[in-house]
Amino acid sequence: MTFDRVAIVEAALDACLQAATPAPHRLAPGEPIRPGSSLTAHAAIQLFEDQLLSRALDVSARELKKSERSFYTISSAGHENDAVLGAQLRITDPAFLHYRSGGFMMARARQLPGSTPAFDTLLGIVASSDDPIAQGRHKVWGSRALWVPPQTSTIASHLPKAMGLAFSLARARRLGVHNDLPADSVVICSFGDASANHATALAAINTARYAVRTGLPMPILFVCEDNGTGISVPTPAGWIAETYGNQPGLRYLLADGALDDIWRIAAEAIAYTRGTRRPTFVHLPTIRLWGHAGSDAEHGYRSLAEIAATEASDPLVANARLLIETGAALPAQLRQLLRDTRDRIAAVAGEAIRRPRLETTQEVIAPMAPQHPRRVAARARSPLIRAPRRRESFGGSLPEEATHPNRRTLAGQINAALADELLRRPELIVFGEDVGRKGGVYNVTNGLQKRFGPGRVFDTLLDETSILGIAQGAAHIGLLPMPEIQYLAYVHNALDQIRGEAATLQFFSSDQFRNPMVLRLPGLAYQKGFGGHFHNDNSVGALRDIPGLVLAVPSRGEDAARMLRGVVGMAIEDGRIVVFLEPIALYHEKDLYTDGDGGWLTDYPPPPAVLLPGDVGVHDLDHRDLLIVSYANGLRLSLQAAKRLREHHGVRARVVDLRWLSPLPIEAVRKHAGDCGAVLVVDECRRTGGGVADAIVADLAEGGFETGGRRLRSVRAVDSFVPLGTATSAVLVGSDQIVAEGLAAVGERVRA
Amino acid sequence: MSRAVIVFPGRGAYTAAALGSLDAGHRFVREAEQLREQYGLPSLVELDRADRFDPQVHLQPAHSAPLTFLTSLLDAEKAGMDHDPVAVVGNSLGWYTALAATAALRFSDGFRLVQEVANLQQQRESREDHGGQVIYPLTDAAWRRNPALENAVTTALGAGDGEVFRSVDLGGYTVLAGSEAGVGRLLATLPPVTVGERRFPLRLALQGPDHGPLAEEVATAAASILVDLRWQAPDVTLIDGRGVRFTPWSTDPAQLAAYTLDEQLTTAYDFATSLRVALREYAPDVLILPGPGNSLGAICGQIIVAEGYHGVRSRSDFEAVQRSASPLVLSMRR
Ligand SMILES: Cc1ncc(C[n+]2csc(CCOP(=O)(O)OP(=O)(O)O)c2C)c(N)n1
Ligand SMILES: [Mg+2]
Repeated sequence: MTFDRVAIVEAALDACLQAATPAPHRLAPGEPIRPGSSLTAHAAIQLFEDQLLSRALDVSARELKKSERSFYTISSAGHENDAVLGAQLRITDPAFLHYRSGGFMMARARQLPGSTPAFDTLLGIVASSDDPIAQGRHKVWGSRALWVPPQTSTIASHLPKAMGLAFSLARARRLGVHNDLPADSVVICSFGDASANHATALAAINTARYAVRTGLPMPILFVCEDNGTGISVPTPAGWIAETYGNQPGLRYLLADGALDDIWRIAAEAIAYTRGTRRPTFVHLPTIRLWGHAGSDAEHGYRSLAEIAATEASDPLVANARLLIETGAALPAQLRQLLRDTRDRIAAVAGEAIRRPRLETTQEVIAPMAPQHPRRVAARARSPLIRAPRRRESFGGSLPEEATHPNRRTLAGQINAALADELLRRPELIVFGEDVGRKGGVYNVTNGLQKRFGPGRVFDTLLDETSILGIAQGAAHIGLLPMPEIQYLAYVHNALDQIRGEAATLQFFSSDQFRNPMVLRLPGLAYQKGFGGHFHNDNSVGALRDIPGLVLAVPSRGEDAARMLRGVVGMAIEDGRIVVFLEPIALYHEKDLYTDGDGGWLTDYPPPPAVLLPGDVGVHDLDHRDLLIVSYANGLRLSLQAAKRLREHHGVRARVVDLRWLSPLPIEAVRKHAGDCGAVLVVDECRRTGGGVADAIVADLAEGGFETGGRRLRSVRAVDSFVPLGTATSAVLVGSDQIVAEGLAAVGERVRA
Repeated sequence: MSRAVIVFPGRGAYTAAALGSLDAGHRFVREAEQLREQYGLPSLVELDRADRFDPQVHLQPAHSAPLTFLTSLLDAEKAGMDHDPVAVVGNSLGWYTALAATAALRFSDGFRLVQEVANLQQQRESREDHGGQVIYPLTDAAWRRNPALENAVTTALGAGDGEVFRSVDLGGYTVLAGSEAGVGRLLATLPPVTVGERRFPLRLALQGPDHGPLAEEVATAAASILVDLRWQAPDVTLIDGRGVRFTPWSTDPAQLAAYTLDEQLTTAYDFATSLRVALREYAPDVLILPGPGNSLGAICGQIIVAEGYHGVRSRSDFEAVQRSASPLVLSMRR
């Protein structure tokens, strides 16, 4: 029994070509391959060339793996009929592809003169820094020139953004946002049969249908490449057709049969979706050759007979027979083509392995989170809208004119800042659950839809995955999305869309594709009226753990307005993914120390005032006994505690508002810590939740802060979910605790 | 056998050093001589055997084109015996040679294509405002890309008032073209640079404004004169001046004809891209330069260096490989 299934399949193709006899007559290049077919002999041979090329690349990847020179052996073998779609879709139809898309890519690249798809693919396989898309950071199917954004290996996770791009095409055009896509572009996304069960696939397809139902365009092809298996788990026979065959708002087409049948059905699907702007589900039966990946021992879960039976339906053998039987090609020609292709790929692989690889940390991370602070600052400040137009937009009175006693709350400040951004940036869109008609659960987006219209401020269906998918898709084509997820707790529902998808795009595309966004995320604890964990979630570890992500957390309203402009600048200029975490409990807070003191109300800072990462808030710069470092609700509690420390204990505390939790303004913290006799970090998030206290204490400790007897302490919330009602104080940080820990930190030094 | 990409030169390749290249007994030469007679043009063998190279005669398109074509083709035939040609590219006129060398056109058709287009170009040459080509370097003497030169080209094209355009991209050099006024402007606006002993910008003698809008007349006339050419799929993959591949298996001869008689003449010829595609997608062991002269030797070297092909990343790397036992570029005549 031999397990070199690659050799067996290769030999079967050779044998088929060896045994074949020429057809009695030859087809001219322009003749249909069969009477009435729109597939010409010439186009059919081109497809076959592309398919053979893809196959040879798969073989080469496995060959190179034997000497550890390749790092990726997931093959397209058996899936090559997707080349039909690659050939018929345009290179301006954005493509979000399954990992078995070699045939598709070869055929698509053919449309671009000067492209070098075989070499490019091999550079990816050997992880060379010359790989034009990922520079060796991952083996992906991707190309800027071919409009193929690279996808991660998380199955189906690319469907929401593909849907989001389809959703955004017409909207971008209406808003006058220019991109390189023609008006009748369609989006294609492809995925496997097992992936078709994934929540993200279901979310994307559901949202596509929902759009149809609500009268919105949704020009997208969902292409399921059905090989009947997900790694070792068989998909029940008929499952895909049963599940997707009759969903309202989704046309289903089975692209089965011979190459020319698949060609015809693909053409029909594309024409339908292009013409009607409605989604089609293309069910493309395939086979999977050689296991899931090079490392997968298929014989462990499939019998040899099953494996051999699959191999016997190799589409390349079937296509070769078709070309010969119809007279499109002679057996000798195809033998020569096959030989030429194999030799060529062996030679190209020889060149690819000579190519350099990424070496330094700097090289690896360069595209992940570009930072151009000057350009960001300039962008955040401009453009400025002429005063009369701004006044008109604000209904006659500007927000900065509403001073004492009508100063503004945090919610009011964000609302005004959003209005200013919408006014000066036509590419900005604001959306989420209830943000439109209702104006947000906490009125933060109040009135914006009325002022800027439902094209720019709109309600979405209730699905966080789709909200983030829309954001990513919109951002791919030049819109600046500002999605809202209603509560911090619910971002976890769709976190992979940020972590695995949005945040990795620049990394895996060497910054050639971007999907900047500012995700508004109300959260954190201390809400008085509305309790319970899900509305008071106080963990940001999952967000801080995402490389390159910016986490901004305003505490005071005037900061929020300026920070919002700063993060918009970062998104536009550097392509950054920003989470703008808004402390719900402070949205409508007015007071700082005592009821009615109005100490938490602020005046509106009109554009161009901005705050950027690194800019911290400093209270009582002249105090040096103690430095309290905090943010969000913790800042307000710290200011209250600082007042008590001063008045009751004679301890003069300086308070610093971090404002930015990722990247942390660590330089500023070090500087202030250097001025002060002790440091207390007040972190309202969970003690072990990967919050900022760990990071700051560790940094200062490593920097030797405590040498010479200075103390470094922190207060943090208890490791618990947040309970309802008065019990919350049992787990959250309170100002008594801050006072006590502050005293402990300064110890005898001050009191003496 | 080594994997070889054959690189056919353009018309300017036939220079003094090439005299005496033609084997009068070769069947292609005899066939060419007959065709020349039918055209009422002087014998190529005689031109080739002249005592001295007369630029006024030898550089005339109607002579230099077929001389270059024929010499290159004969060389390529020999090269085919020692190497395995895996792809064929050509620069400008070299595209026609490539067509004949791969049997996409039989010899007489290839020759007619060359001669007819050259005749049309020569007719244009006799006009007052015939226009021409200017060559300008984009790299320094060490073959490192110099962005300042590229910027100068962009500026000069911008100042050309629509009378100038990019004609041929050679990688390390760019060939610009234009009307007489346009060429004058290019010569006046491009900052003078010296590479080796040559000074640039340099006007190319007896070269017209090819591969651009000013060649449309030639293209229209050629298409009507040459309707009867019999096009076939090539027997080795051809890579054209856009970087498009025409393979022996999937070529639609109608598309080959359409490209050759239209786009090839009227849009910029991107030789650098065609060679880059050949290097990347066909990974040759060697580039073979048939035909007269060695003008493409350095050009190919520069493209190889820009690619880092076979680890060759500088002019000195390239020169070292060329001195080694297995050079990357083989010029059949120097
Ligand atoms: C979200 C997620 N879960 C699990 C995996 C691991 N995984 C990779 S491929 C795969 C099977 C996918 O099967 P299918 O969608 O049918 O595609 P095929 O490989 O058969 O083409 C699994 C489980 C993954 N990549 N992503
Ligand atoms: Mg599967």
